[in-house]
Amino acid sequence: MSITRRILIKNGALAAVGTCALPGFLARAALAGHTSAANKRLVVIFQRGAADGLNIVVPHGEASYYALRPTINIPKSAVFDLDGLFGLHPSLSPLLPLWKERHLAIVHAAGSPDSTRSHFDAQDYMESGTPGMKATEDGWLNRALHSTPEPAEKSAFRAVAMGPSLPRILSGSEPAVAMGNVSDFRVGGRSGAATSASSFEAMYEHSVDSVLHGTGQETFEAVKMLKAADPAKYLPAPGASYPRGRFADSLRQLAQLIKANLGVQIAFADIGGWDHHVNEGSTQGQLANILRDFSQSLAAFWTDLGDLGEETIVVTMSEFGRTARENGNRGTDHGHANVMFAMGGAVQGGKVYGRWPGLDASHLYEGRDLAVTTDFRQVLGEAVHQHLGSQQLENIFPGFANDPGKFLGYLRNS
Amino acid sequence: MGPTLLKPERSIGIRVAVLCTALALATLAVGKKKPATSAAMAEPQRAMHALNRLAFGPRLGDVQRVTALGVDQWVEIQLHPEKIDDSALDARLAELPTLRMSPQELVEHFPSRQIIKGVVAGRIPLPKDPADRAVYEAQIKRYQEAVERKQQAAQIPAAEADPAKENRPDLDRAEVNPADPKSREALPVMRNPRRQVDEELVEAKLLRDASSERQLEAVMTDFWFNHFNVFLNKGADRYFVTSYEREVIRPRALGKFEDLLVATARNPAMLFYLDNWLSVGPNSDFARGVSKNAGFNKRRPRKAGPGKRRGGLNENYAREIMELHTLGVNGGYTQNDVTEVARVLTGWTIERPQLGGRFLYDARMHEPGDKQVLGKRIKNNGEKEGREVLHMLAHHPSTARFISTKLAMRFVSDTPPPALVDRMTKVFLRKDGDIREILRTLFQSPEFWAPEAYRAKVKTPLEFAVSAIRSTGAQIEDTRVLARALKTLGMPLYAMQPPTGYSMKAETWVNSAALLGRLNLALALGSGRLRGVQFDPQSLASPSEDAAQLLTELENTLLAGDVSQQTHETIAKQMQDPQVTGRRLDDPVRPPNVGVLTGLLLGSPEFQKR
Repeated sequence: MSITRRILIKNGALAAVGTCALPGFLARAALAGHTSAANKRLVVIFQRGAADGLNIVVPHGEASYYALRPTINIPKSAVFDLDGLFGLHPSLSPLLPLWKERHLAIVHAAGSPDSTRSHFDAQDYMESGTPGMKATEDGWLNRALHSTPEPAEKSAFRAVAMGPSLPRILSGSEPAVAMGNVSDFRVGGRSGAATSASSFEAMYEHSVDSVLHGTGQETFEAVKMLKAADPAKYLPAPGASYPRGRFADSLRQLAQLIKANLGVQIAFADIGGWDHHVNEGSTQGQLANILRDFSQSLAAFWTDLGDLGEETIVVTMSEFGRTARENGNRGTDHGHANVMFAMGGAVQGGKVYGRWPGLDASHLYEGRDLAVTTDFRQVLGEAVHQHLGSQQLENIFPGFANDPGKFLGYLRNS
Repeated sequence: MGPTLLKPERSIGIRVAVLCTALALATLAVGKKKPATSAAMAEPQRAMHALNRLAFGPRLGDVQRVTALGVDQWVEIQLHPEKIDDSALDARLAELPTLRMSPQELVEHFPSRQIIKGVVAGRIPLPKDPADRAVYEAQIKRYQEAVERKQQAAQIPAAEADPAKENRPDLDRAEVNPADPKSREALPVMRNPRRQVDEELVEAKLLRDASSERQLEAVMTDFWFNHFNVFLNKGADRYFVTSYEREVIRPRALGKFEDLLVATARNPAMLFYLDNWLSVGPNSDFARGVSKNAGFNKRRPRKAGPGKRRGGLNENYAREIMELHTLGVNGGYTQNDVTEVARVLTGWTIERPQLGGRFLYDARMHEPGDKQVLGKRIKNNGEKEGREVLHMLAHHPSTARFISTKLAMRFVSDTPPPALVDRMTKVFLRKDGDIREILRTLFQSPEFWAPEAYRAKVKTPLEFAVSAIRSTGAQIEDTRVLARALKTLGMPLYAMQPPTGYSMKAETWVNSAALLGRLNLALALGSGRLRGVQFDPQSLASPSEDAAQLLTELENTLLAGDVSQQTHETIAKQMQDPQVTGRRLDDPVRPPNVGVLTGLLLGSPEFQKR
């Protein structure tokens, strides 16, 4: 069938379609060594709903922490002490090996300077990268793509969001693929798909509309790349035990894309369910449960990546922290500063970065919340600049003076 | 609705009896028309253009009807929706009771969890009506079970708890398969009363956009709702959005801009969405704790917890009203103007929002003293200060330009011609922001009818899905499948969280997942396999074994025959494919699969544009 088709087509536009061999770009990508600078990648994780940073990386060395949280604190005896002041929530035990190997760094009291306590505004600001400005149309990860040297081997999977639609953080003028499920990323059902796909490709190949033409090209390339690379064959590495759930599924599939050498440079995934106003729990309970999901998934992802972890960094963020004081329902309300994690080969881990503002009443933001001492854009700026080599930080985070000289230094100089 | 079959006008040039030969393909190519962008539009093309822009695309036979009526005449009729009979749609919508209810009634019949908590705590009485009572009792039972589960979960040792189960964010999220009509019948209001409100709202919108005769009104309602966006899933807004669209947006969609602005500013949906209802003047009686009266505490924002201040200016709405609703981000206002407008609008609040309450001007929350907005002094005048500022904003030259630009982007192109925007701006200012007049100027402009405007806009997911329904004559039986498809395509209805509303620009809507989503939706719909939508592909074509004629017919029906050579040839080629024809080599000729061809045309680049 494909032979007949190719003979019929005079201009050769369809030569790469259908059942033909591995596309050239993919073959080249497969040949390229995976340790070159071009393969460095950044994975951004969003914890939606405002994670309670004070019970995740616990300031157990501060007496006021225990005074503010009489029923939901994490007892000193239960935390994994990190440095005498901070300790990890016991549910984060899957991440301890990374900490000990210095592949995991923590930034505490990080966040947005904007005072909003609305999930809705704060997420928006963290994704647009412009706190206080709602009119920003694109997301900072998309602008980062624009300012980052493109790998020599172009890939439709350069930027990928695990989810059914492109999140605000990745939307903008640069191409980015949204993928809900690897197995659904194709044209048509199981039967008749190949012909419909090649028909659509031919139509879009010649569309005079530049946007449709461009996206069509990206899409069909991505579909073919995916089909050829068959990421489903990359089973989790031995020891990488992903828990059940959407977040773990996202990371497991992302690991497949990375292991299939699809040229992923920037990736995004999110995990919801952090908004614990009532019965948050302490070493057990709601927060403990979601933290377990979170840490097991990240640890499995790390194990799964194996050597590829050396060129990968993962940074986590959440729209704001929660009140220093527990509320009347054994939960916490919306607060301000929070904790961010960074893990990866280039991370100078085993250290809590940032300036700790303290939890004394006089140091609390608006008398109630952990104050922000590190702007989230500084943490992210270091990631894109140092790791991906992004230039023009002023375009990625407009209005924010992101001086590389003032980075926290949680990444090794490359 | 019976299919209207068009005479295949090109068939004389391309009628070639032999199907599956390269010769036939070559002839097809020669016989194709050139893309019609070189000269002024012919009348059928003008009809197509008008239907693509003033409507959600043509229905079967619309191009002929509008051509026969006269395109200009049709446009004029659409500018007066009140004169258009829409009884067929009204009859269909009559089956959806929530559409006519006030927010208070919605809260009463479809209680939120907060209301149920209130009943459990004894703060709110059980309703008397037995049907309502049954709903409440079922909800109370579920609520109590959920509380028990949570308490147990907090005590279960970590190793035994199942995180996947525990993290299920919302117990009443869809556990019913929306594609299965039976499960819908079984879906009791009992189970999740709130969802009925959302679903009927979404259902009504899809039905209206797909089948209202008042297409321009539907388009403009969509436009203004998006311009004055509110988010259904923000707390109490769930109960306000139905009446917001029904009473604020639609009746003023072609009216005066100031009316629209004022009506949105005073509607609980907007006051809640952009937090103005919580905004308290720092020097107001309320903030200073002056002259407390007993009844007031029931009305004021009750969220005050430890550390939350009682009085505080909230600038959220004040900023958006200038940035997004009127002047535009570069419209010439400062941060100081934002703060001053916020002071002006203090006291514009909601009476008991969680119970679906109404707009309330509360003088005790209002910031006293004169204000200064855009260089003009606003004298201390209570509620009227707000009216004065809204009037000023509605008639500001920056607003006239901002709104004209946005309208031109909706109707002409992503980068509208400046000369057209200039003329529309002048009409806006001269005619007191009369939307109908501005649109008439737009629809009579040479720029609107210029060949380069033809199919210059990429359809949004909503426009794509609805136009596909309309062009095929498919009948929507259960809108939930379509609603879910729109969510997958990145455009969940009434669920745009940021106040910017959805983008109208091409680049937003064209990405890999979205394009694949469109193509798959096209293939499913085209072949009649989309659940919840009744469509028989055979209804589009006269029975024929002449594949070339069939393709031409489908192109005429779905795209007014205006198909690029590439698209035409590609599909013509596919017609030889055994997967399409189901034909083996030794079979006699069989008719091609109309469903696949329809799907390919709906997924073609041409159909993505309007």
